[in-house]
Amino acid sequence: MSETIKIFHGPQHPGVTGNMSLELDLDGETIVKAVTHVGYLHRGFEKMIERRTVIQAFTIVCRICVPEPDPNEENFARGVEELYGLEVSERAQYIRVMILELARLQAHLLWLAGQGGSIGHEIVPQWAIGERDYILDLFEAITGGRVYHMYIYPGGVKRDLPEDLPERLLALLDTLASRLPEYDRIFFDNAAVKKRLQGVGVVDAAECVRNSYSGPVIRGCGIPRDVRKDAPYLVYDRLEFDIPTQSAGDAYARALVRRAEMHQSIRILRQVVEQLPDGPIQCKLPRHRQFKIPRGETYVQSESARGAFGYFMAGDGTPFLRRLQVRGPSIVHAFTLLERLLVGAQLSDVALIMNSLGICPPEIER
Amino acid sequence: MAWNLDIKGLIHPFSALAQGFKQPHTLSYPVEQRAEVTGYRGFHVNTISDCVGCGNCQDICMNEAIDMVEPLSPEAMNPKNASGLVPRIDYGRCCWCGLCVDVCGPDSLRLEGDCVYVSPDADSFLYMPKDK
Repeated sequence: MSETIKIFHGPQHPGVTGNMSLELDLDGETIVKAVTHVGYLHRGFEKMIERRTVIQAFTIVCRICVPEPDPNEENFARGVEELYGLEVSERAQYIRVMILELARLQAHLLWLAGQGGSIGHEIVPQWAIGERDYILDLFEAITGGRVYHMYIYPGGVKRDLPEDLPERLLALLDTLASRLPEYDRIFFDNAAVKKRLQGVGVVDAAECVRNSYSGPVIRGCGIPRDVRKDAPYLVYDRLEFDIPTQSAGDAYARALVRRAEMHQSIRILRQVVEQLPDGPIQCKLPRHRQFKIPRGETYVQSESARGAFGYFMAGDGTPFLRRLQVRGPSIVHAFTLLERLLVGAQLSDVALIMNSLGICPPEIER
Repeated sequence: MAWNLDIKGLIHPFSALAQGFKQPHTLSYPVEQRAEVTGYRGFHVNTISDCVGCGNCQDICMNEAIDMVEPLSPEAMNPKNASGLVPRIDYGRCCWCGLCVDVCGPDSLRLEGDCVYVSPDADSFLYMPKDK
């Protein structure tokens, strides 16, 4: 019987996507057992929100996920609107879609940087982070912030778009569209990348359905599941886009799904610019201590770059939410799936598989 | 997994070499400076002659980063300032959400593009917004 050694991969490790720890039992380079440990990033957001008025709380929710904060803001705002019965103007809904799709694009570029870094491909992280910064510049002009935007607000959005935004956005989309084939040449078509990603972290469709995996994980197995199509929110039902799928279920299939999603996001953003109506961006709200959320419950869901993101919210007639529960896609991906995929994998594949699943510890611990 | 000869996959990555002839994305700081962004949420400024000292900014701040204090130059104060106090921001707590600016009735409290502040004195991060 061979002897195994135990190592702790994380919580401070460049190959771990955030602050979480993996307890790995190794037989040589092969992992025989993996246990996920979280708790290093618990900031108590759900409890903090219960002690702040909903207007104050909207500034906290974006911090639940660093790589892609906007689905949190949108979910929270939509939940409050459903509970309170607010009507959001059409213009505000289109602006929200614009923000969410820009967020998806920058999240995929950040993933691309991480995935490149995890396999030792040093060019693509430099490129992707550079390209992402142009999107952050646009966020800065729209919202006043680069990473945490605090922009999608119950009842609409916080401020109107700058006048030159449509031209700037279209120019950026043209640049990104022309750059994607270059990413294909150096990364997605690269023989070394294919050799590294193909056949690693394989998930099958039955397991995805059984364990409620979502996002690129389930679409990489050939199941076109996407909240934007399955339960359309905002104005997604008026926009034309496809749900890209792959059938192999491995890390390379998930990479190709994300690559195709970037193309679809560009397509959606072009339609948003074309269809953007005039009108108000915010409805009138009561003062924050008079903004009392009626008794009731709701569950709202949106599609983030990593999968379905849900918020359960309950009001009790006070300006505070009685309960807020965040359900991000990383919860099932980090425990159920990651622990299984790592068994039998090589030590050098740990970072690769974590990035491929898009695991984000802050949303596990809130 | 078997290695299949992938000619395209072996040649295509060398296209990255073409990037060597392109201009860099970065600026040669400090020779080149980044253009200021209109609407960026940087440091606070407060027009003391407009501030009415109502404390709405203090009330809405979810981080309790704002306390109302006596102004540095009382002679510039708005005569209608009933409390005689103006906001001071604790930049150890502020998250630059801008809610204080949204609720400011006379629009005296604003956020400007300036966002660089260096001081060895930790107490100076209890920041008194500039009077502009």
